[in-house]
Amino acid sequence: MSHPASAIVRVEHVHKYFRRGNERVDVLQDLTLEVPDGQFLGLMGPSGSGKTTLLNLIAGIDTPSEGDVWVQEERISAMSEGRLAHWRTKHVGFIFQFYHLLPVLSAYENVELPLLLLGLSAAQRRQQVSTALELVGLSDRVRHRPGQLSGGQQQRVGIARAIVTDPALIVADEPTGDLDAKSAEEILDLMVELRGALKKTILMVTHDPRAARRADRVLHLEKGQLVEQAAMV
Amino acid sequence: MKYLLLIYKNVGRNLLRSLLMVMGTMVLVLVVTLVWSVLAFIDKVTEEKSKDFKAIVSERWSAPSRMPYDYARVLAEGAARKDHPEDIHPDDSMTWQFFVGTLDRENMNFRNTMFGLACDPDKLLTMMMGLEKENLAGQQRREFETAVEKLKQTRNGIIIGHDHLKNLNAIIGNTRDTTLRDPIGRKFKLSGISTFTGLDLEFEIVGVFPPGRYDNFTAFNREYYQAAMDAYPGEHGGRQHPQAERNLSLVWLKMPDRASYNRIVEQINASSYLRNPEVKIEMASSAFGRFLEPFRDLLAGMRWLLAPACIVTLALVLANAISISVRERRTELAVMKVLGFRPLQIVLLVLGESVLMGLVAGLVSAGVTYAVINWGFGGVKFPIAFFDAFLIPINALYWGASVGAGAALVGSLFPAWFACQVKPAEVFAKVG
Repeated sequence: MSHPASAIVRVEHVHKYFRRGNERVDVLQDLTLEVPDGQFLGLMGPSGSGKTTLLNLIAGIDTPSEGDVWVQEERISAMSEGRLAHWRTKHVGFIFQFYHLLPVLSAYENVELPLLLLGLSAAQRRQQVSTALELVGLSDRVRHRPGQLSGGQQQRVGIARAIVTDPALIVADEPTGDLDAKSAEEILDLMVELRGALKKTILMVTHDPRAARRADRVLHLEKGQLVEQAAMV
Repeated sequence: MKYLLLIYKNVGRNLLRSLLMVMGTMVLVLVVTLVWSVLAFIDKVTEEKSKDFKAIVSERWSAPSRMPYDYARVLAEGAARKDHPEDIHPDDSMTWQFFVGTLDRENMNFRNTMFGLACDPDKLLTMMMGLEKENLAGQQRREFETAVEKLKQTRNGIIIGHDHLKNLNAIIGNTRDTTLRDPIGRKFKLSGISTFTGLDLEFEIVGVFPPGRYDNFTAFNREYYQAAMDAYPGEHGGRQHPQAERNLSLVWLKMPDRASYNRIVEQINASSYLRNPEVKIEMASSAFGRFLEPFRDLLAGMRWLLAPACIVTLALVLANAISISVRERRTELAVMKVLGFRPLQIVLLVLGESVLMGLVAGLVSAGVTYAVINWGFGGVKFPIAFFDAFLIPINALYWGASVGAGAALVGSLFPAWFACQVKPAEVFAKVG
């Protein structure tokens, strides 16, 4: 099977099912997908369609029941848990719907957290954290704790945490789902800007058509299968 | 370093819960420290030493022991014979002559009754357990040396324990002042009771024992005691005091090693001078062990039930608190895993928080216990055998930290394992 050299993500004939008692629940069924490097991909679909599951598989926080997931030519679906953990730190940035910042840490410390796992010097960490916070426009809030920040600001910290390790792939699970319209627009502007400036590949799960419109390409999932692809650009 | 900072910050996440955990740990560490202080002292005195042996010589067939005072001279030399150069001598010795008297013969009670020891004052500094150079240092040592010097110079001087002095303040001074403000020079009279009846001794306080083990103890010059015995016939129609012939209770001997001890045992057993009455010599540890025999079950209960129960309770309390904390932070732990934290790092994070709290709480508890019990109360008042109070050893700091940290470690093992098993995909499962 040949693949375009520019595909950063390849999902090949992936099945994902769960057991609920004796019942088998198929979440993803024979799903195949390629995401070119640098693309902003939106994933839409009704609840239970498998969007988040697909995102988790591509991000290496879950493994497929069948099939393979390749990211940057690495077959992550075959990696051990420990290797996957290290791989995630270096190659994937996560943006969560509810930010999930550690409440006891300042904005600076939250952003620095993934860097602690990479064995960088304090000076290197300081430089990367400062750059990330500057990129999201929060240089003046570094000492604030999450509780002292607005929802939009917290999500900016979440984005800074996602990009601080300079990953090739950023996955976002409904990043605007907990924000008001104005903040959501700002976050989407920021993501588009980061994609352009840093050349990141972004995978975003969303229910919001306005958010999806910012993506280069939108995939629709229904009952665990891709049913429609729409080029937005 | 940053990891430790994260652990530290997590401890402060829920201050009330952390504070309650710390307080619970402190209380249980306090109990364990008190119990172990008593047991450690008893273990120490009943443990057979490898050097600096102390032995006790007493009358073989009678209790309480009553030996002729002349025995002191022979025993101080280890019953070494002059014409036997191979015989050896003890490194040091101390005679003990007991005396019991009351401040008020008409209304005698425990408070106005005192137990006294007539001895050679110099030996208080070298032969008394806990008062030797290695066990008593600094200001307390200097003050006690001054007291002993005064005892040598003052014929009827007496060094008195804190509890006795408090009773004196209440009975003679008619005051509840227990601060022992300038007791030096205060005079009082003890009328002998029981087998010491007829011996009325007037004393002048020349010093106070360091607080703790000797709170219910007094020591005075044996020459004054002997002089009182000698004066007795003059005041009682020429009759000797019943104790006059045999008023030596014990003789303590110190030897460098077991071989010396064995040799001196042979010398004493072979001595024809020490025949009437016969004497026995035994290791101090054996003698203490014999005294403690009636308390064997109590001590075993403290050692094998009370202390372990406290530690298990502590571990369960901590396990419960850490479990709640882990359950509350399930999403946060999942986020950390998503960011790349490995299961072992999550385990260390949870264990670290718990151990940090246990360690600090245990150390603080033991430190406060050490200071308050030793300096504030003069030791743990736990009268057992002839021991009155038990000082908290400095090792308690190590015990406290170890018990706190150890119980926290054990208590948080399961919650930590639970934490590292968190699956991000399940935590974030919206199946969307």
